[in-house]
Amino acid sequence: MANFNIDSKKARTYDAIVIGSGISGGWSAKELTEKGLKTLVLERGRDVQHIKDYPTTNMMPWEFEHRERLPKEITDANPIASRCYNFKESSAHFFAKDNEHPYVQEKPFDWIRGYQVGGKSLLWARQTQRWSKYDFEGPARDKFAVEWPIGYDDIAPWYSHVEKFAGITGNKDGIDTLPDGEFLAPHDLNCVEKYFKESVSKQYKDRHIIIGRAAHITDPQQIHLDQGRAKCQHRTICERGCPFGGYFSSNSSTIPWAMKTGNMTLRPHSVVHSIIYDDKKQKASGVRVIDANTKETMDFYADIIFVNAAALNSNLILLNSISSRFPNGLGNDSGVLGKFVAFHNYRASISGEYEGFLDSTTDGRRPNSGYIPRFRNVYKQETDFLRGYAAGFGANRQTYNDRDGMGESLKAGLLETKYGNWSVGSHMMGETIPKESNYVALDKTMKDPFGMPQLKISVGYDDNDEKMIKDYIEQVSQMFEQAGFKNVKSHDGHRNPGNDIHEMGGVRMGKDPKTSMLNKFNQLHACKNVFVTDGACMTSTSTQNPSLTYMALSARAVDHAVKEMKAKNL
Amino acid sequence: MERRVALKSMALAMGAMAGLPAWASGWSKGTLEKGTLLTADQSKILTGMVETIIPKTDTPGAGELGVGGFVQKMVTDCYDSKAQASLKSGISNLDEQSIQRFGKSFADAGKDQRMQLLQDMDKGSDAGQKAFLGMVKNLTIQGYMSSEYVMTNLTHYEMIPARYHGCVPVTKG
Repeated sequence: MANFNIDSKKARTYDAIVIGSGISGGWSAKELTEKGLKTLVLERGRDVQHIKDYPTTNMMPWEFEHRERLPKEITDANPIASRCYNFKESSAHFFAKDNEHPYVQEKPFDWIRGYQVGGKSLLWARQTQRWSKYDFEGPARDKFAVEWPIGYDDIAPWYSHVEKFAGITGNKDGIDTLPDGEFLAPHDLNCVEKYFKESVSKQYKDRHIIIGRAAHITDPQQIHLDQGRAKCQHRTICERGCPFGGYFSSNSSTIPWAMKTGNMTLRPHSVVHSIIYDDKKQKASGVRVIDANTKETMDFYADIIFVNAAALNSNLILLNSISSRFPNGLGNDSGVLGKFVAFHNYRASISGEYEGFLDSTTDGRRPNSGYIPRFRNVYKQETDFLRGYAAGFGANRQTYNDRDGMGESLKAGLLETKYGNWSVGSHMMGETIPKESNYVALDKTMKDPFGMPQLKISVGYDDNDEKMIKDYIEQVSQMFEQAGFKNVKSHDGHRNPGNDIHEMGGVRMGKDPKTSMLNKFNQLHACKNVFVTDGACMTSTSTQNPSLTYMALSARAVDHAVKEMKAKNL
Repeated sequence: MERRVALKSMALAMGAMAGLPAWASGWSKGTLEKGTLLTADQSKILTGMVETIIPKTDTPGAGELGVGGFVQKMVTDCYDSKAQASLKSGISNLDEQSIQRFGKSFADAGKDQRMQLLQDMDKGSDAGQKAFLGMVKNLTIQGYMSSEYVMTNLTHYEMIPARYHGCVPVTKG
């Protein structure tokens, strides 16, 4: 670096650097820039600007030449991405191709990635349930992983903070195990979902069916209009990017908001190689970047660094940040970096039919579904496995067309829509237990196209997961049968870990620097000006879709970082 | 205010649609490079076949709506080589049957003759030909039902419903 002059270094120096522009990086950027910090946001992929870069957003179904199916050439070349439910003709351009960023699967793991500004926030399922105190207390009570250094009361105000800005639809259900938030008007449960809700509450006082809480604007407030976002139009083609900004993404919300402060520099095509550690100052001094287009390496400098590269890539960056002080990865005095990775168990689903309400149907479309908060082992241990599962639940009136024969009779059949029974369905979202044996590490020989070590992933299911699948199938099938649902069938899709896209951990929070990487404000214990606030920080996974918690942790960590900076503690 | 934001957003998005940038369309470029699976004559037979499966009545049939091209595109781009071979040989066999039975190509056969050939294939014992017919019929239904004409004029697809009502009478329409 000797040939860079001082001016050049100055031009590459910021108050803060955020690595990643997805759901958590967008929040870090928004909060940092609002607090007046000159912030560089590094994104490894291309830029995706709201509306302008949503090429398929207003295409009609018949304008997709393969009607959303992807050509065989593409699915053959991308078996991992192809296993994601959302990888289709209208959205494929928001997924990283398999060969763009290879990795080593010691066990089968579907690593689903979105390499562009906004990351996977363009593609997410938008479910935003808060954690409760029972979720944070899990590891301490059940003696796994390490104790969370924070509880519900620490994060509750930050949940409120991010919910108000993002726009969350939901119903105030008053359930102890799934705290209410700052909700915009709820979506409807339909008649069969309401019926099931009543049926379940008659049988079980601690089991609830509610409408999902989701990041959709149902009732725009001034703060949403100020972002240029409007009411959700129920198109339910969110994965193409929404021209209304009806759902929350970094692209529609936090990134343009941060840009408007004048304090953000966004640098796409910037693959982060490592975080630079300054031995003399005993803190991180910047970030080393490989320009994705030129392959040139360059350094950027800042007082604080937020790592929001998405869970496993944040692990990769820290593991690759080697110095004489940290020979095993930045902040890794404990040796736990990369270990205790966990995910959500989405393997099982249940389907059935209901023969009631045949004179009723639904009208319009709903970008949301019903939700069953965790009821297993919440207040006390009651089964032969640890923790539990939440579940999705939804009902739809079946419609069909006669497809018999050929000619005019077939044509007439196709154009006459007939109503069948209601179909009902549920899928599990199980907590998995973080274990040392579920880990990621740098592969010793394999390199990616940028010359970075490939990430070796060794994450699998265990006996606890198998027991939980069995229990979910038993319990929810029974709830279906008690409601009079017919033709109840369960299915174990045996999907690979990672396909849930809820991989978490490896850089976990904890009270003790000997057994954890991050403190209660997401600072590396051993390198206090580096913060990790994406899925990598998660001590345990509980059952809720995790993005809302990452948003809240990011905003909370920025608040702390800026206070510490002002107190000259960083 | 809210409506104005929405309209402005829509206008911008419409602008974005006009030309797909390379990184968006790159995913389906393979289509253009592979050439056509069927000859012009075979394509004509396929069009006759989809029109027989879903014929013109007081509304257009599948042939007129370009569903033959859709079937060919899907098999070419999304199906495996076995399915592609089945499409080609199935069409040849169908044409041979037509020449044997009626002394003319399927493309020149009358409406009733075409239907008879397809129905015989459907009831026949040749598993390969039945599979061919089943594949073409399914794709014909998909292409027809998802055509602009049908979705716009007959099944009234709503791009922007802007609502969800959880319980309405079936008769509402």
